[in-house]
Amino acid sequence: MCIVISFEDVRRYYVVGENVIKALDGISFDIISGSFLAIMGPSGSGKSTLMNLIGCLDTPTSGVIRIDGETLGDMGEDELALIRNRKIGFVFQNFNLLPKLSALDNVMVPLLYRGIPLKERKEKAEALLEKVGLGDRMKHRPTELSGGQKQRVAIARALSNNPSIILADEPTGALDSKTGDQIMELFENLNDEGRTIVFVTHDRTLGARCRSSISIRDGRIVDGC
Amino acid sequence: MVAENIKLAFSSMVQNKMRTLLSLLGIVIGVASVVAILNLGESVTDSMLESMASGGLDMLTITPRGAARETEIFTDEFSDTLMRNVSGIKTVLPVLSSIAVMRNGQEILSGESIQGVTSAFFEENSLELSDGSFFTLMNNINRRQVVVLGKDLADELFPVGGAVGSYVSIFRNQAKSYLVVGVLAEKDATLGVSYNYTAFIPYNTYEQRFSRVTQVSNYIVKVAEGSDALSVSDDIESYLDVIAGPDYYMLFSPATMVEMAGEITGTFTAFLAAIAAISLLVGGIGIMNIMLVSVIERTREIGIRKALGATPRIIRTQFLVESVILTLSGGLIGILMGSLLSYAVVSASGWNLHFSLPAIAVSLLFSAFIGIFFGYYPAYKASKLDPIDALSHE
Repeated sequence: MCIVISFEDVRRYYVVGENVIKALDGISFDIISGSFLAIMGPSGSGKSTLMNLIGCLDTPTSGVIRIDGETLGDMGEDELALIRNRKIGFVFQNFNLLPKLSALDNVMVPLLYRGIPLKERKEKAEALLEKVGLGDRMKHRPTELSGGQKQRVAIARALSNNPSIILADEPTGALDSKTGDQIMELFENLNDEGRTIVFVTHDRTLGARCRSSISIRDGRIVDGC
Repeated sequence: MVAENIKLAFSSMVQNKMRTLLSLLGIVIGVASVVAILNLGESVTDSMLESMASGGLDMLTITPRGAARETEIFTDEFSDTLMRNVSGIKTVLPVLSSIAVMRNGQEILSGESIQGVTSAFFEENSLELSDGSFFTLMNNINRRQVVVLGKDLADELFPVGGAVGSYVSIFRNQAKSYLVVGVLAEKDATLGVSYNYTAFIPYNTYEQRFSRVTQVSNYIVKVAEGSDALSVSDDIESYLDVIAGPDYYMLFSPATMVEMAGEITGTFTAFLAAIAAISLLVGGIGIMNIMLVSVIERTREIGIRKALGATPRIIRTQFLVESVILTLSGGLIGILMGSLLSYAVVSASGWNLHFSLPAIAVSLLFSAFIGIFFGYYPAYKASKLDPIDALSHE
């Protein structure tokens, strides 16, 4: 088993006016390849900050973050963009599909940024949409899809560059419980295939379905395995 | 990547049709006026050239100045000398001229121009008759007392008509009667030369009756076909400078005039185009404005794209392509409108339409440049957005 992500005494402080907010205050953990980890915590716990750091959208104030052995600390914007493109697959609560593009074009965007030629992009994206059960919805725009379908498109998009980790931020939060359940099943299937999934949620029942979990509160890990 | 960006640019243009159109208006008006002004400028120059050419672009006039010394150079034989020494000349026609009093019955006109010319003069000047005929080579050799009258002159001397076949008196030292053989057709003055008040008599007749001195009043030089009038004019000038000196002759060349006129309209056109280009600048600011609005509206999209791995450069390129597509479209519409406008003006005024291809090319390049110049700041701003802030933007 290899370590996909490791955090070593990571701190993220924000300066607001004269106050320093310690959003994350010394966090260390490893995520092992093939795990299905829930990051739980109430709002304001530092959960989102942690997610942003795992997603390489942000850099820590101090401490070391490694993804596939590469240290993020001294990377510039371009390198972080490259990491996001190759190693991270984002799934958001509100889907965050590009509204002007069809489902197929949405799934093709990360492949486009990677420089994959059009024909190959299309083949890959089509295969992924088939995989998430949307083979008949490829030309539809996000506005023509239901919530569950949108999230499936988002998951297909997250998978497109075959990332090291799928980072899902409350992916069922905007869905009714039945659809949410289906999406959860899809994640479980992906994990069965060996995908590493990090699942950020405040919902304990959902968290319990993940195979391991970390709870954070006030910027620190209070419970983990 | 560029193909995707162009596709994206068009889709966002189409999505906000009204806004796109309004923001393009500045560029459209700017390009349209630049294109129209340059097209019209060229059309005017063209028409001017044509009307000058009809007056004989290939005709040069040499007029001796001063006195004494030149009389030895500017003689009848000088025509042949000039032709031998300067290449590219078809023929040199000497012209004798002076002022005389003319009379027909009660009608007396003074101060009219009398010119002694050879019969070839009429043909080379493309003069046309309204009545009668020109005098002939034989008339000249025989020193016949015949005259061809300019239209207005004929009308004043013969108010009731019937000039051809009548006699007219020309006073110079003593009165002599001349048979009117032809009346010229009316001709507009081109470059100040009009023969409507001139009487032409055979060269040899003039020599015998009017002048004792042999100095020729002027020489009309016809440039050979295929030779450049301007360079022949230059050659004649350098030749005359040597044999007579620059102060002792005047060389009048319609080609030089045309060149000057072209320069003047060119300067004027450039000036107007520069003013019109200011509206392009204003148009560019409009584009910058709309692109800034677009960046704010699409903050979330930028955040999503960054999360999916778009580098700042990719984002910047996307917005730059969009603003260039926008201004290029404006440029194309402007070129179309400017061309239509110049076509309308030209049709109304009867000039020849001349599309200025360089103007069209420059307009296109310039609109693309405006897209880059005024699109850069909004694109830069988009590329620098923080992905976390952008993603949480509503």
